[in-house]
Amino acid sequence: MLSDMEERTRWVILVYQLPREPSRHRVAVWRKLKDLGALYLQDGVAALPEDAVTREQLEWLQLRIREAGGEATLWEARPGTVAEERELVGAFRDSREEAYRTIVAEAERVRRKAEMGGGALLEQLGKLEREFREERRRDYFRSPLRTEAAAALKAARWAVREATSGAVGRGARSGK
Amino acid sequence: MLWATRRGCHVDRTACVWLIRRFVDPQAAFAFFGDPSEAPDGAELFDVVGARLSHRGEDCSFETFLKEYELEDLVLREIAEIVHDADLRDEKYGRPESEGLDAIVRGMQLVLPDDQTLTGHTDVLYDGLYAYLSREVL
Repeated sequence: MLSDMEERTRWVILVYQLPREPSRHRVAVWRKLKDLGALYLQDGVAALPEDAVTREQLEWLQLRIREAGGEATLWEARPGTVAEERELVGAFRDSREEAYRTIVAEAERVRRKAEMGGGALLEQLGKLEREFREERRRDYFRSPLRTEAAAALKAARWAVREATSGAVGRGARSGK
Repeated sequence: MLWATRRGCHVDRTACVWLIRRFVDPQAAFAFFGDPSEAPDGAELFDVVGARLSHRGEDCSFETFLKEYELEDLVLREIAEIVHDADLRDEKYGRPESEGLDAIVRGMQLVLPDDQTLTGHTDVLYDGLYAYLSREVL
């Protein structure tokens, strides 16, 4: 995809500075950027691939920073070379890996428990599925582990369903 | 009256357009601009940084509309929660509908890139949401 210069992604870059105190504004902005899946290029410089939604989210963040007494400007940008862009895309993919790995491990735990006849796993599974959707939302470049996480969740759901319908079959209704 | 907002409407702005047409100004006309400097003269701006009808504190623009026009409709309040969660993604109200609404409106934006056309269609979506939530309130 990145071999063609024409197809290169456009990026939105937020450059900001906030007063040291009170620190809660700095924390809130950092948390919001993390939630959006943005990457810091360096201190106070965060990047996201541009689409209508990321751009809008950064516009509101810019406003919040200004209201908190800070300075913020929003830029559209393109890295100078294909190599730099490829590096950035790689960094975005890497940034999602840990979360997906955790989801895979947890989903496998749920699946094993279900296969051993453990109950009350639906809620746990639902929470994992929600985490996955959150993660996918900020996974802008399809981190390779996404597929693995989706498969692990599917296997877990299947095992939990099996366990539940088996229990119902035996007359041991356990609520949901 | 002429209302104007930025191009590329997502949940908050499409919901505001619907709210304006149904509850604020049935004769409303809308303009969508790329840059705030292109906004038509005399238009009432919404969901634009610095406008009266925009994000305010923790509120999204839809919520600001409800407050500014004192729309105390229980169903609108519920829709506001859904729009808020879809727009700001802070799970303030924990409304599960927001995820679905977000996906649907994002997809509609892809197939209907023109905002006039898009909002014509999303109006029906919010009519449906309003009707559905009304069943429970009445």
